[in-house]
Amino acid sequence: MLGNRKQRWLSLLLAAVLVGITACSSKNGNDETKPSASSSQPTEETSPSASDASPSASEASESPKEVVKLKFMYWGSTDEKKAMENMIKAFNDSHPYIQVTGEHVPGDYNTKMNTLMAANELPDVAYLGDGLTNQWGSEGRLLDFSQYYGQYPELQNKLKASYLYTEPGKAVANFTALEVMVLYYNKDIFAEEGIPLPPADPAKAWTWDEFVSVAKKLTKDKKGKHPDDPGFDAKNIDTYGFSFGTDRGTYGPLLESNGAGILDESGMNYALNKPEAVEVFQKLQDLIYVNHVSPNLIQQQNMPDNHVRLQTRKVAMVLDGTWALLDLTNNTKLHYGIGVLPKLKEPKTVILAGTTVVFNTTKHPAEALEFYLYHNNPEQVDLYKTGLWMPTEEKYYTDEAAIKLWTDNPAHPPEFLQAGIEYTKGYAVKSPSTKLKNWPEINSKLAPGLDLIWTNKKTAQAALDELQAQIQPLIKGKYPDE
Amino acid sequence: MRRNKSGLLRMERRWGMLLALPVTLGLLFFAIGPIVASFVFSMTDWHIGGQSSFVGLNNYETILTKDPVFTKSLFVTVYYVLATVPVAILAAFGLAMLLNRKVKGLSVFRTIFFLPSIVPRIAGTMLWLWLFNPDFGLLNSIFEYFGLPGSQWIYAEETAIPSIALMSVWGVGNYMIIFLAGLQSVPTHLYEAVEVDGGGAWRKFFHVTLPSMTPTIFFNMVMMQIGAFQSFDSVYVMTQGGPNNATLLYVVYLYRIAFTETKIGYASALSWILFVIIVALTLITFRTSRKWVYYEGGGK
Repeated sequence: MLGNRKQRWLSLLLAAVLVGITACSSKNGNDETKPSASSSQPTEETSPSASDASPSASEASESPKEVVKLKFMYWGSTDEKKAMENMIKAFNDSHPYIQVTGEHVPGDYNTKMNTLMAANELPDVAYLGDGLTNQWGSEGRLLDFSQYYGQYPELQNKLKASYLYTEPGKAVANFTALEVMVLYYNKDIFAEEGIPLPPADPAKAWTWDEFVSVAKKLTKDKKGKHPDDPGFDAKNIDTYGFSFGTDRGTYGPLLESNGAGILDESGMNYALNKPEAVEVFQKLQDLIYVNHVSPNLIQQQNMPDNHVRLQTRKVAMVLDGTWALLDLTNNTKLHYGIGVLPKLKEPKTVILAGTTVVFNTTKHPAEALEFYLYHNNPEQVDLYKTGLWMPTEEKYYTDEAAIKLWTDNPAHPPEFLQAGIEYTKGYAVKSPSTKLKNWPEINSKLAPGLDLIWTNKKTAQAALDELQAQIQPLIKGKYPDE
Repeated sequence: MRRNKSGLLRMERRWGMLLALPVTLGLLFFAIGPIVASFVFSMTDWHIGGQSSFVGLNNYETILTKDPVFTKSLFVTVYYVLATVPVAILAAFGLAMLLNRKVKGLSVFRTIFFLPSIVPRIAGTMLWLWLFNPDFGLLNSIFEYFGLPGSQWIYAEETAIPSIALMSVWGVGNYMIIFLAGLQSVPTHLYEAVEVDGGGAWRKFFHVTLPSMTPTIFFNMVMMQIGAFQSFDSVYVMTQGGPNNATLLYVVYLYRIAFTETKIGYASALSWILFVIIVALTLITFRTSRKWVYYEGGGK
């Protein structure tokens, strides 16, 4: 009998343990999605909804306002993470009634956000890629800023191009920071070859032919011969004149410069096989296979980051975004300079940046916006001075003192005033892909098709003609500009 | 005695059920639940963040009739399976034969050949990325040393799948171990009988080893086939499906649809099609196995 009772106790105990395990594991599961890097905060975390549910009377009498908890998610390098952590700490210290916890997501950020969206466990405020911002914005998942212009007038102070609208007047996001595509170069190589530096004044941008001829002078094979020299060995190139990525950061500005686009004016028709667009892709293909001034796709994939390419003289000029200033400056062995991109018809560049959004699921939109305005305020975040970011607020491009505040430092060489600020102010447009509806899906068909150009399997015309049948059905128009 | 025994049985049953509970619940909630859910999703146009509505078999229809990328990825996957499975079986079997001999330092050799399958997949993939590097990779350097032309390996459309197949074959250690176990259970009296009849090594191999090993070969083949159809990680790390979708294995395509294009409904339908394909192929393999798999006990 005793054995029997013992058994019953044991099974009860076991059942309890099991329940405990399942309960704990589900709790752990929740914790995983919660911030891990919240060093500055008490660890007793509750989600916003939970803290809403328990406003005990005694607490309320002591503190008139309940502490609002917000979650903020972001990506970025170690530097960016550090800067964000400092910013969050400063915000929490100066806003006792709002406690923000930050979560840095390394790796595949979009996948993470997608799964959180699917599980309905979104943070309050987060970085987001432009594609997802547009998609979720038009599906009503993001806070419409225009509703809060009265309450937070600062929301309107940003550069016009930094807003993402899903419907006329409905701004669902702002670029976290502005970034435009520019040309970086190794000053030493230019000095040794006795070639004048690339122009920083957008009005004096090189024509394509000027650019190619400079790139040829900079390209050298193992024996020191240039592409047009007899006996030039294209298979053993020591220094390439120029290297470029194969994504929208490269073809985007050049399309704009040539008056071309991914879609036509109406936004309903595929336009990459129009002559102006084909010209852009053909010129890029020629840089690799005809002019021999650029590494091919395979060589590129195996090359180090741009700042190392320049420093090790593997490449003399690169096309990259202004975010690269951080790495370029930190590479102390490199003397780099900034220039504007070569032009086809008009000097143009594109703004290519991620956004920060407030999700509609937030319980505290007002507090979230307060944090939103703080999180990329140049007076609070040092990422502007280190070169990673450019401000979104208009005054930082127009007001002398404000410009000085973020550019008077080693990360912004003197020519940045022209090749950075003036270029952004007068010549930068929103990346065409940012304005396209359904861009993520279009791009997942576009990129493999463009590979045929980059690998020299097809001419630009043939590859872009072939893509039409695949892309046209995916076209859903453009988003408004304001 | 009798009562005692039944008490024991009852206790065993109760404990058995209790102890099986976690696994059963796990299977129910984390496997069967999602499987059923994915089937339901496959009938909707759900994409993450959006509204979803029931669309019946639309997704399946689109996939089978209007999706050229699906066709391509299926082709790529079948190519990969055909390139991997036979070679991997031969390699694993051959290695097992070699490692079944009594030579000096046997355990060292066994460790060496088993090692690749302990190396984490991603670490192994990073290693092969370096081996495959067309400019300064080890493979091309060796080719160059012997005056042979190098290859673009995973970076060219034509050679990408064979290269990845080559890498998979490198990791056959697990299958090798299974073959090794199989080889050691081949009854020695059969070998002795061949010897008595004056048969040499070839006869031993073809008339004893190979027939006795058919169940193991069969098992490994089925497992490899399923595994190859579901390959994902190395391609995801190495090529993301490129160049020009030349390495777009089925599951990589599925992942792209689900998490880049966020079309969960469509991706669920894709996964069910893959399931049907794998089940069908496994059934075919089982059917044909009656003709060539030999069980000593006489069973099928």
